[in-house]
Amino acid sequence: MSSSPETIKKYQGRRWSSLQSQEARLAWRLLLPTALIVFSLVIFPAIFSIWISFHKVDLSNLNDVFHAPYVGLDNYKRVISDYAFKWQSWKNMGAYVTSIVYSFVSTILTIIIGLVAALLLNRPFRARGISRAIFLFPYVAPIVSVAFVWRWILDPRPSGVANDILMRLNFIDRPLGFLSTPGLALLLVIVFTGWRYFPFAMLMILARLQAIDRTLYEAADVDGASTWHKFWYITLPELRYVVGALFLLRLIWTFNKFDDIYLLTGGGFGTNVLPVLTYQFSFRLFNFGVGAAAAMLLLATLVIFLIIYVGVFMRYTEED
Amino acid sequence: MSATTYDSRPKSFIDHLAAQMSWGKFIFAIVLFFFLTSVLFPFYWMVSSSFKTYAEIGGRHPVYIPSELRWDAYKELFGYWNFQRNILNSFLVSIPTALIAVVLSTMGAYASARLKFRGKNLILNSILIIYLFPGILLIIPLFAMLAKIGAAIGFEVQDNLGILVFTYLAQTLPVALYMLANYFRTIPEEIEQAALIDGCTRSQVIWKVTLPLSVPALVSVVIYTFMIAWNEFLYALVFLNDRDMFTMPIKINTIFNDPTPRPHVVMAASTIMTIPIIILFLAMERYLTEGLAAGGVKG
Repeated sequence: MSSSPETIKKYQGRRWSSLQSQEARLAWRLLLPTALIVFSLVIFPAIFSIWISFHKVDLSNLNDVFHAPYVGLDNYKRVISDYAFKWQSWKNMGAYVTSIVYSFVSTILTIIIGLVAALLLNRPFRARGISRAIFLFPYVAPIVSVAFVWRWILDPRPSGVANDILMRLNFIDRPLGFLSTPGLALLLVIVFTGWRYFPFAMLMILARLQAIDRTLYEAADVDGASTWHKFWYITLPELRYVVGALFLLRLIWTFNKFDDIYLLTGGGFGTNVLPVLTYQFSFRLFNFGVGAAAAMLLLATLVIFLIIYVGVFMRYTEED
Repeated sequence: MSATTYDSRPKSFIDHLAAQMSWGKFIFAIVLFFFLTSVLFPFYWMVSSSFKTYAEIGGRHPVYIPSELRWDAYKELFGYWNFQRNILNSFLVSIPTALIAVVLSTMGAYASARLKFRGKNLILNSILIIYLFPGILLIIPLFAMLAKIGAAIGFEVQDNLGILVFTYLAQTLPVALYMLANYFRTIPEEIEQAALIDGCTRSQVIWKVTLPLSVPALVSVVIYTFMIAWNEFLYALVFLNDRDMFTMPIKINTIFNDPTPRPHVVMAASTIMTIPIIILFLAMERYLTEGLAAGGVKG
């Protein structure tokens, strides 16, 4: 009886399912520490942050934060009406518009520089390996070091090397305060971002360039295409997806970026962006509720952008 | 570009160059030169400035090449500023972060690459979302939450390097797990199945088959997480108040903001902080570059 086919099947089924559940249990055990850390230090705080943005939380009740009084949308109103946040004029754009301008322009600049660097390194030449390694220096070096080197290069005193070179070349007669002149400061912060992050774009584009089918170029050669035509009609279309992904990733990361601007200008002289403003609300004024509201506005903008990007551009590329 | 079998007749350098040059090569050389100088100059300026004296730093014109190596800045750094303490703190934060992260992410990555279980996709997706999360958004609730928990359980949140390690783990684990899981998937499953059929348990398979095959990926994850913790600025800025507990980035920020500007000391400290990272990167470049392209360091 016990060896009837049905029993065997049943037995095998149970054995199989117990193996499977054993595997699942092992998986959960292996994932547990990571899941715990990520949940308690990322996911829970993220949700808690929404809660804080609707409550009055400052230094006085930080130790009793879960009983903070509910204030509705007050924190959000406070942020939106704040002088540092809202749009005044082209000369004084406020943190919100500055954030958007800064992230878009520096993302585009980063990708363009990365593209040029990738095209350079895609050609065989003797020092290619070492050049590629050197090109990565700005990206791997600590942000504090490179930001302060840039500040020292752009020092407003005559001993600043940028001022000295420009004065020797007679471009300027007096030393400039590069990072303390509205407009110029934002431009230089954008240039710095391009300088620091182009290696990331370069690596991604280079990987794609090296995967392009050689025969496409050979066919174009047979047809007598110029270098420019080959670039425009073969290389660029082949790079479409990687550039799209790069744009999204870099835009999000740049939009979230705190260190670079905080270290270069402290958010002054027309370079204040949302992350720096959030920091100022929270850890200069110690008004955590308002800080959280500013951070939520940042996140909301990010989400809106993602929806537009996925909705419009992804569909566009699919139809293509 | 090689000119080895070029003719033996003496030619002037310019002729020689002209024979080799075309417009394409010329533009290429110019652009390459431009890139190399703009990447390298700031690093040259950092190292050379660290060997200048206070007089050379504050003169009418910058000193492009220091007349001799002056150790003034380093003496001040290790004397007055007690920077060795901050170097130690940076190691105390970065090494535990890197080691714990690689152990935990290996476990999680193996589970998500090889084992089947319900809820896997949910976990993996939520881990990926963290990649896009602004660090500034998390710091406020973390600060409030940890202050509250600290007060309840009785540990200090401020100036606690252990807390800093935990927050860095939360930042690095998702990326590390994601990269390792991708790597594990490239190991043919048949190898593991063969070991399982031979009577190995899962954990034996992991120890004796998967991990030895993954050494390059494990090494690069250790280095990435080390670099992230070594370079991290925002969390350290918020959680550390006592100068003796500062990690290097915060201390450099303090030196920079000293009422009397001392760029040479800032540059000396920056040099000390940057050189190990650059050496580590150059030594491990082959393993690291691929992972960088995959977003190993979120920058």
